[in-house]
Amino acid sequence: MSDTAPSCHASTTATPADNPFLNGLWKQNPVFVQVLGMCPTLAITNSVRNAIAMGLATTFVLVFSNTLISMVRKIIPSQVRIASYIAIIATSVTIVGYLVDAISISVSKALGPFIPLIVANCIILERAEAFAAKKPVVKSFLDGLGMGLGFAFALTCLGTVREVLGAGTWLGIPLFGPHFEPWVLFVLPPGGFIALAIWLLTFSTFRSWRAKKKAAATPALVALSEVHS
Amino acid sequence: MNPAPRTAPTIPMIKVLGTISLLCGILIVFTQVTTLARIRHNKEALMHELIEQLLPGIQKQINYGIEPNGDLTILPGLEGEGRRIFAGYDAGGNFLGLVVETNDRGYADTINAMYAYQPDTRTITGFQVVDMRETPGLGDRIRSDPGFLENFKNIDASEAHPIVTVKHGTKKNSWEIDAISGATVSSRAVGRMLQKSVDEKAPIIARNLDRIKRGK
Amino acid sequence: MNESLGHIFLDAFLINNFVLCVFLGMCSFIGISGKFSTAWRMGLSVMFCITVSGILSYYMNILLVHFNATYLRIITYIIIIAATVQLTEMFIKKTSPALFRELGVYLPLITTNCAVLYVPLMLTARNYNLAQTTVFSISGSGGYCAAICLLSLVRERIDLSDISSLAKGTALTLVLAAILSMAFMGFAGMGGGA
Repeated sequence: MSDTAPSCHASTTATPADNPFLNGLWKQNPVFVQVLGMCPTLAITNSVRNAIAMGLATTFVLVFSNTLISMVRKIIPSQVRIASYIAIIATSVTIVGYLVDAISISVSKALGPFIPLIVANCIILERAEAFAAKKPVVKSFLDGLGMGLGFAFALTCLGTVREVLGAGTWLGIPLFGPHFEPWVLFVLPPGGFIALAIWLLTFSTFRSWRAKKKAAATPALVALSEVHS
Repeated sequence: MNPAPRTAPTIPMIKVLGTISLLCGILIVFTQVTTLARIRHNKEALMHELIEQLLPGIQKQINYGIEPNGDLTILPGLEGEGRRIFAGYDAGGNFLGLVVETNDRGYADTINAMYAYQPDTRTITGFQVVDMRETPGLGDRIRSDPGFLENFKNIDASEAHPIVTVKHGTKKNSWEIDAISGATVSSRAVGRMLQKSVDEKAPIIARNLDRIKRGK
Repeated sequence: MNESLGHIFLDAFLINNFVLCVFLGMCSFIGISGKFSTAWRMGLSVMFCITVSGILSYYMNILLVHFNATYLRIITYIIIIAATVQLTEMFIKKTSPALFRELGVYLPLITTNCAVLYVPLMLTARNYNLAQTTVFSISGSGGYCAAICLLSLVRERIDLSDISSLAKGTALTLVLAAILSMAFMGFAGMGGGA
């Protein structure tokens, strides 16, 4: 698999438009498959609570911007398309900032500058350009929802590893006894890198194993699958 | 490049951008207006909870701000974040103490905190972190480590000795703060912010003490 | 905030390095660090964009505060950044078409580089004056440039090593970044606080 391709332009050729929701959730998971949106993935995941909050905030922005962009896709001239997308995305990020403040000040403080930084999250612009600009509103809505929840799922996976190993708790609930010596590295920056590397390795191993199984089970498709391996 | 006229459809471009900007502007203002009350309520609730922990038994609170010329004024609301002084009174109107806001640069970013201050004895009787981005597991223990917070039950803030953070385990005097082992930078920031604040605010408070005690 | 300029410089460049400690600019960090020659050119372009948009955002913020329109912060900052990147693109295209072709699609991607938006957000939150803003922008983006160059040098060295194809690419880059990040943690406490 070509992991060395530029991260912000992941291949979108294999997007099954029949179920955009599941596609975003699993098959083209923004973090584990497309390797997008790395900044918040590494920065916010030192606790599961922050990871889930960030995932949900990004989902809101994705749904909002995908839907709105899909609604106006036919009337935007191509020259100003990126500018319009960015305006819409920045608006939804401003809105979600107020919403998070209104729901919980402590979460807002914990996420800090990363809420306005959702604007710079590659995932949102990529989905806008690659999907919402071309597909109808309902499909775009589902795609936004799927990608967002897929992102939230990935963040939670990472957050779980980092919080359980690095602090001995999950969502603040202590899991081990008082004699547990937390592996502090995992809540520090290097731990974020390592945890993500391990998850990526796990996922790509799993996918390659599944592909091999499929190839073994259907010999007629072996030639095709070798092109993709 | 394409020789076709690229600047021809300028008007539709401007119209579209204009409409989208207008729409976005309306959405933002709408959200801000709808959530304003709720956000303010959240902030007040958080403040109130922290102040209550620093001045137990507080029933009434007056918020003071400091004018540029050094005078104390009563603030109608919660504005002037970071430079406020809260005066607490119990149910009978008796003066309980002051809670002073302060901040300084910690390891990762600014640490915002408050401390309970008794002007009569010039002592600090409590410390609470309001906001920080310190390293989880290390610097962020200035908020939760019970050993560290013990320091602040009684800190001598008189002019005789500046408040200073000392190495973990070497605290001998009541104006010293025992640092958290492994979180020196964050602990030092706490010492600095307290000393800075006392330096600046204690004289102003002393000048206005009568007025504060009467609740005016 | 009354932080000294020297402290801001050290902090943004080393202690709280944008890439290795605050996790900004990750997408480009992982994507462009394959070759040193591309990396340092990208790093310099980003430095230019961050410095220019940082200073412009400082003035924009003054305007917004004056008109009590702080809810427009995110939108105006991003517009400033997009405009700066566009200008940089045109400038590079005019002065060095070879560089323009080499950087290719990554130049417009600077707009979505978190590091660029982070600077205006931080200078607003920490209330920096113009001098502090300039030092912060230059040293922070310099830290980004240094980190990306370091990583590209390491990657070039191990490019021909015998590693399982599964681990090659992003996972390996992340592990290398982890080691670099651990090295940078050694700078903690440098300067002894403000």
